[in-house]
Amino acid sequence: MPIKEVLADLFNERSKFDFMGRKRVFFAVSALAVLVGVVSLGTRQLNLGIDFEGGTVWQATMAEKEPSVADVREVMTDLGISNPKVTVGVTGDDEVVRVQAEVAEDAAKERVTDALADYAGISPDAVDFKDVGPTFGREVTDKALRALIVFLIAVSLYLALRFEWKIAVASLASLLHDLAITVGVYSLTGFEVTPATVIAVLTILGYSLYDNVVVFDKVKENVGALASTGRYTYSEIMNRSLNQVLMRSLNTAITTLIPVLALLVVGVGILGAVGIRDFALALFVGLLFGTYSSVFTAAPILVVLKEREARYRAIRHRIEAREGVGVASRTTVDRAARPTDRPVDAAGDAADEETPAEETSLERAEREVRARPSTSSLAPRGRQQRRRKRR
Amino acid sequence: MRGPLVRVLLVFVVVGVALTAVVVSDTTPQLGLDLQGGLSVVLAPKGDQKNVGDKLDKALDIVRSRVDALGVAEPEISRQGDTIVVDLPGVKEQRRAREIIGRTAELQFRPVLNVIPAAGSPLDVPTTTPAPVETAPTTAPGEAPETTPDAPTTQGAASSDVLGRAQEPPTEEPTTALETPEAPPADTTTTTLADPVGAGAEFPADQPIVAEDKDGEFLYQLGPAEATGGAIKTADADFDPQSGAWAVNLEFTSDGFDQWNAIAAKYVQQQVAIVLDGVVQSAPTIQEERFTENAAVITGNFTQGEAKDLALVLKFGALPVELEQINELRVSPTVGRDQLNAGMVAGAAGMALVLVYVMLYYRFLGIVVWITLLVTALVVYVLVAWLGQTIGLTTTLAGVVGLIVSIGIAADSNIVYLERLKEELRAGRTLRSAADRSFKAAFRTIVAADTVTLLGAGLLWLLAIGSVRGFAFFLGLATALDLVIAYFLMHPLVVVISRSRLRDSRLVRMPGSSPVKADV
Repeated sequence: MPIKEVLADLFNERSKFDFMGRKRVFFAVSALAVLVGVVSLGTRQLNLGIDFEGGTVWQATMAEKEPSVADVREVMTDLGISNPKVTVGVTGDDEVVRVQAEVAEDAAKERVTDALADYAGISPDAVDFKDVGPTFGREVTDKALRALIVFLIAVSLYLALRFEWKIAVASLASLLHDLAITVGVYSLTGFEVTPATVIAVLTILGYSLYDNVVVFDKVKENVGALASTGRYTYSEIMNRSLNQVLMRSLNTAITTLIPVLALLVVGVGILGAVGIRDFALALFVGLLFGTYSSVFTAAPILVVLKEREARYRAIRHRIEAREGVGVASRTTVDRAARPTDRPVDAAGDAADEETPAEETSLERAEREVRARPSTSSLAPRGRQQRRRKRR
Repeated sequence: MRGPLVRVLLVFVVVGVALTAVVVSDTTPQLGLDLQGGLSVVLAPKGDQKNVGDKLDKALDIVRSRVDALGVAEPEISRQGDTIVVDLPGVKEQRRAREIIGRTAELQFRPVLNVIPAAGSPLDVPTTTPAPVETAPTTAPGEAPETTPDAPTTQGAASSDVLGRAQEPPTEEPTTALETPEAPPADTTTTTLADPVGAGAEFPADQPIVAEDKDGEFLYQLGPAEATGGAIKTADADFDPQSGAWAVNLEFTSDGFDQWNAIAAKYVQQQVAIVLDGVVQSAPTIQEERFTENAAVITGNFTQGEAKDLALVLKFGALPVELEQINELRVSPTVGRDQLNAGMVAGAAGMALVLVYVMLYYRFLGIVVWITLLVTALVVYVLVAWLGQTIGLTTTLAGVVGLIVSIGIAADSNIVYLERLKEELRAGRTLRSAADRSFKAAFRTIVAADTVTLLGAGLLWLLAIGSVRGFAFFLGLATALDLVIAYFLMHPLVVVISRSRLRDSRLVRMPGSSPVKADV
């Protein structure tokens, strides 16, 4: 289908992408991204900032002359500071010099402050200074991790209560997916992990979850309206829901990413030394994957879970028997069925017991891929599916 | 039910009034130290000390009194978990401030040379009349409070000698007792003393100083320190069943014992002040010339709390729990200003671009997003300024980032609604009937999604420390506001448009909102 038409469909929200028919591809993409993240984390580790490792950082804005790394090193060596990390950079219109070192004694730290102030030609009180004890970083990390775990548990409970536990599982899986990718980005790029990173990660998870809720809320509504008719498989309902929220997801992604992009640009321009840039970049990548994962990770996982339920297997078998086609190919709902205004009721779904699948998900996925229907077609159901008659 | 137009106007009026109030009263957001420069110090109990909860609260009070003496405009001293966080935005002499906060204050014992009521003291008493101190006299046997006003010289508050251990017969083995006087002796001449040194200032041990008592009611002129907190081995508050009063029992170190005997010989029947950080904690009168055994008791009309506090001060000197500095941050005003500018520029640019985008995408109905986002921004400003004034909420860089992120959330509520509206319009409904129907469904989604964000922000605020906490607060604030604005402004706004003459014009058409024929 020509790009122009696809765009027009999207714009007019007539798109009929068969997301579920390609879930194996999405799973593969997600698995690969997670794998890269995990392997990178295992081999390269994270570049932990002084907030986690402990240490001292000085930063001075030069009064006049341009800073030189060699000169500053010499100043530090004279003070008996071994292995200082010296960087120079520009913040706004100002030249700044930054020194990071491990100094034990308070008095020695103040000597460095004085020396650096002297070098930069400013008052010692104007030197930015950050001193972190090794325990503080651990405490910040521990607290943040604990908050994260409590957050995940609370959110899972909320989702399980508001929707059903399978939605909670799918959301949790996509959150871990986002987490692995974000951490992977930090490990691959070697960005320094700071408390701001913790904020970035939490933002990404919160956003990803928020996106999941919007998608699943639509699914819940459509399940309430369509499932009881027995005419649609869960995959079809999911596809329909995803197409309906697609523009919302895109728009939200765009309006969320624009401010982050602004932060990114401003961070590069103004705050060269402060790390906002790294923060914004991680946020950018993470939010992108957060949007991706609610459509391409959470939704397919939910479909795999739900299609195993007796209720949806029965629907699938019935449709199969009636139409004599591989149901797997029937993954798009046709437009004739509009949502009705029935009260939403998904309680029945949650109560369904899981029954063992007759075929493994892999076999089914394989079959589905082979039986791939044309995407975003407006043709009535029967016509396109007759092409693939395998049983 | 009020008409939607009235509701919209009401929101405008409320926001307008609040904004005017904030602008007129010149209330501005309280900037965090990372945005205006300043000092932040985090203190934690040293090593693996257990059960420090109460002691940490006490230590917090002591740190707070030191900081107050610095005269910083908006100090923020709080306990977060097992740490004490001291934030001093705008403090200029950062190094000096840090030294004062982190210093292990020394407990000193100084002879009292003279006592007068402090200027501006709540007790407006003539200088000739000694005023009662906070340990007001009670009807303890032999105590005659009425006699004290006439007493011109230092004296032991006319009590029956409180001779140490209650079990011991006073005559046999007199333990020296220290007694807090019922009233500090007054000087008959109106002596003007120099300003009290106050907490946080330097108070060299070898020089006389002038110090206030804890309540700021009296000024003490004190001689050079005769001993320090090191002389005290231990101290405990104890209830004396005989006198029916709380007292503080002391035990000296072996050096301290000698020191105190020297003090007792020199200042018998005179007051010796217990001075911490330049503040007189108590000024008992020495009752005996000699301490015969290594024990002493300080009596007075202490409440249980006062006795315990005094015992803690004597035992631990400065702080009831040993603290170490685990984090320090000094930000110069230049860097602070740069960070603030960056945050503002990023926020404004992000907002502007979002507004342009929604206008392109939703055409005229994008006006709804414009209005809600701008009103949200104004309300956030008002709230942040107001909370800064009332509860001392500080706006940090992390908070600004939280606000920038929340632009997306606020815009999303509009998007969810407008997309839903389109869906209804496509189904062939009129704008008028779609406006209410779609809000019901959209608001349910918005509530679900915002609940998750609020849940996360709330948990982070409770459990995390440091900058993450500030971020969580602002994110939570903006999210809660999003719910309110969606309900009270966004929905009525669309309803107003849907009932106006505009509803049939081409203006309100959004791309993709035209009704679709059912395709078979």
